[in-house]
Amino acid sequence: MKKSIAIVEDERAIRDNYAAAFSREGYAVRGYPNRRDAMAAFTARLPDLAVIDISLEDEPEGGFELCRELRGLSAELPIIFLTARDSELDAVSGLRLGADDFLTKDLSLAHLIARVNALFRRVDALRRPAEEKQVIRRGALTLDSERMSVEWNGQVVLLSLTEFWIVYALTKHPGHVKNRQQLMDAANVVLDDNTITSHIKRIRRKFQVVDEKFDAVHTVYGMGYRWVE
Amino acid sequence: MGRISDLLNFGPISPFRIRTKLLLLALTTLALPWAGCQYAREMETVLRESEQQSLLAVTTTIAGSLKGRQELLFRADSLSALDANTTRDITPLVLSGAPLIDGRADEWDTNARGVVRVAGPGNDGLRLLAATHERWLYLALLVRDDKVVYDGSEMTPLDPDTIGDRIWLAFDDKRGGQQRLFFGSTGGGALRARRIETREYGREEAVEEPRIDAVWQRARDGYVLEMGIPLSLVGQHIGVLIDDRDRRGAARASFGTLDVADLRATGRLIAASPDLNDHLRQFAQPGVELTVASSTGAILTRLDAPALPGDYTHMRGFLPRMYRLFLDGGAIPRGVSQVERQRAAEALTARAVLGTAESTLFAGPYENRVIVAAAAPIFAADGKRVIGVIQLAQTADRWLTLRDRALTRLLNLTLFVTLFAVGAAFWFAGRMSLRISRLGAASENALSREGSVSRVLPETAAKDELGDLSRSFSSLLGRLDEYTGYLRTLAGKLAHEIRTPLTIIRSSLENLESESQSANGPSTHGMGENARVYIARAREGSERLSAILTAMGAATKVEEAIAHSERQRFDLGALVRGAVDAYGDAFPQRRFACEIPAEPVDITGAPELIVQMLDKLVDNAVDFSAEGATISVVLRADPTLVELSVANPGTPLPAEALKHLFESLWQSRAEPDKRPHLGLGLYIVRLIAEFHGGTARAANLPDNSGAIFSVRLTR
Repeated sequence: MKKSIAIVEDERAIRDNYAAAFSREGYAVRGYPNRRDAMAAFTARLPDLAVIDISLEDEPEGGFELCRELRGLSAELPIIFLTARDSELDAVSGLRLGADDFLTKDLSLAHLIARVNALFRRVDALRRPAEEKQVIRRGALTLDSERMSVEWNGQVVLLSLTEFWIVYALTKHPGHVKNRQQLMDAANVVLDDNTITSHIKRIRRKFQVVDEKFDAVHTVYGMGYRWVE
Repeated sequence: MGRISDLLNFGPISPFRIRTKLLLLALTTLALPWAGCQYAREMETVLRESEQQSLLAVTTTIAGSLKGRQELLFRADSLSALDANTTRDITPLVLSGAPLIDGRADEWDTNARGVVRVAGPGNDGLRLLAATHERWLYLALLVRDDKVVYDGSEMTPLDPDTIGDRIWLAFDDKRGGQQRLFFGSTGGGALRARRIETREYGREEAVEEPRIDAVWQRARDGYVLEMGIPLSLVGQHIGVLIDDRDRRGAARASFGTLDVADLRATGRLIAASPDLNDHLRQFAQPGVELTVASSTGAILTRLDAPALPGDYTHMRGFLPRMYRLFLDGGAIPRGVSQVERQRAAEALTARAVLGTAESTLFAGPYENRVIVAAAAPIFAADGKRVIGVIQLAQTADRWLTLRDRALTRLLNLTLFVTLFAVGAAFWFAGRMSLRISRLGAASENALSREGSVSRVLPETAAKDELGDLSRSFSSLLGRLDEYTGYLRTLAGKLAHEIRTPLTIIRSSLENLESESQSANGPSTHGMGENARVYIARAREGSERLSAILTAMGAATKVEEAIAHSERQRFDLGALVRGAVDAYGDAFPQRRFACEIPAEPVDITGAPELIVQMLDKLVDNAVDFSAEGATISVVLRADPTLVELSVANPGTPLPAEALKHLFESLWQSRAEPDKRPHLGLGLYIVRLIAEFHGGTARAANLPDNSGAIFSVRLTR
């Protein structure tokens, strides 16, 4: 059965373009221009993945509201924010509402599809028992590349997809400095310096939630970041 | 206290500043004392004129009381001697006391107008002075004689060989006869007049006249003969003659008022009636001098002023003197000598002789003594002929004192008011200009070069026009702030708005590409080679557009990042060293020289932001230098500040650029570049520097071989 993707986007041309791209990849796509239509459809039947814009027709923050309601319907449903708004505040709010990723519309379709695929892969992986070979252990860190989940000292650290990929890229070769470009490539994303910096910051903070003394991500000024065990 | 010192410290007085203008304005209150002076002068003129008028009225009244009363004016014997006058006439002054007959001239006013002068041979000469008191006529003969010769013997006055200098006195007697008497002295002292009587056989004998007292005294330049004659002896004419001899018995040289040939007296005796003074005394007032003159102008009598009331001259002190100087200028003739004063009095009398009653004003013999004088003619019974003149003189002290007292009070008051007004105006102006300059400074600084607006202005609570001004400034600034805020966010908003259509274009292009790829191969509707080139170009264009949008949002991003960044303590030296190492890899066509203190340079700040700042500076240095150039990064530290500078060789910056370099959206690139440049790099540098409590500065290298950008941060 085809996986269904819901695109909630008020701009018809974008919605159709995304729909076309996802259809080409073999997904069943349904588009909704606003929160009411989307919610009506979701209550009837949940999609397998939702791509949501923040501002929806008459509601500038409609996407956030929709995300909250959707999380209420399902805790596992992968949700991606895809928006023209790229402020730090929006990203933080979106991720806090339980979105799996927060992407700006700069992202190419190919990257977007890669993310969607990855998220589906994770959903599938979560349904299967964990495969040991996919798991990377670095001291207190346990990283499951298939499920895209991270544990620190046995406690789950909830990372967004982009954050997970950054951590994954850093921990693959601990001690090696990864520059920004490498991190962006790993995360399938095009970000400016400040966004990378804030991602790193958020990652550190999330680890620090479970371990106050967490200090494994080092900044190498002028070059990039590295994972220190 | 701060406010007061502010007020005092408002800088030099320069023209056209408000306080100068207000000060000048306040100085116009100086017109007050001026107006006061004008008023006082008016008052003074009125007072003076009324004084003159009243004095003139008194004078005319006295003159009226004497009208036609010749017998009261003149001695009975001189009644007929009114018309023509000769230089031989004697007009004795009426004295209030009898002079001492002592042969000395010091009691006599030898310069008086009534003096009869007769010139003798050579330097010799005679001055004849006359006066009356009660029933006596006093004569003083001041003889200038280069060689005084006394008689040889008292016993033989008629022996020609013993005769020295002789003085003849001749007058009519009451019976119409002539009395001829001579004085001869053997050595000065009291002497008697003698007359020559012819006795039997023609023998001549000198007989003493006991009724005449006389004293002969040597003087410095001759001798003086002073005598007293009972008026009852003398008729209408009287005269004297000097027989001057160079030695005893020598030929005489005669001069005097007698006919030399027959010793007849032709000069008239014009004397005031003895009752005149009694008559005049009833009109006497304190401070008023009363003078009666004959129609010839010769003074008959003078009643001196009794005690003067008040003392005008006692008003001393700096201010009153200044006032007087200010006031009296021109009104009263000043610095008048006694001679001039006398001349003025005489001129007054001379005009009165012609029949005009008149009053005048002149300065007295003492400084600051002003005299009001009035003269009126005394007419004969027929009311036409002038038989004499009466003149009253009075010191003007009374009204001058009055005026000065009023004026001093007025001037003191106005001066005080003026000083107060000037002071108040100065204070007010100072305060006003202080407030205005504060407001001016605040409004000048309200809009910073970078476009941020401070809405806080002083004076907004004030209720006056300045408050209104400040409030309208504030609202203007508020609107300006909204506008600049709008402008500042415009780039971000625009980027946001453009992003949506750009996304449509890009996703469409990507779809198109995917479609064409999937339809690749033998498909007939696949795209041609040309179409793919166009798609590639369109993608390239949209990517550039996207880069531009990212750059446009960069400043906003940095501002956001700054807002969210946390400060920490870190070693700036290590950071810069690491970063410069990385630049070596990133820009292989440039060499990097690094100068960093060996010891750690710990500062408090956000290291990511510092790195970003350094990135921008180095980017900039790379962009403006040629390949192979050496970019030097220098870090210097002192206990409170660190200075990080990046210098690159290249063309120096134009002066215009130096001013604007760190402003948003400013760039001075000579040639267009492929990469989008929005001139935000150095603006971001400045934002980050300011976040670290520092400043960013650009300059040309001293030898103009390139540019240096430095950032100062507080530690």
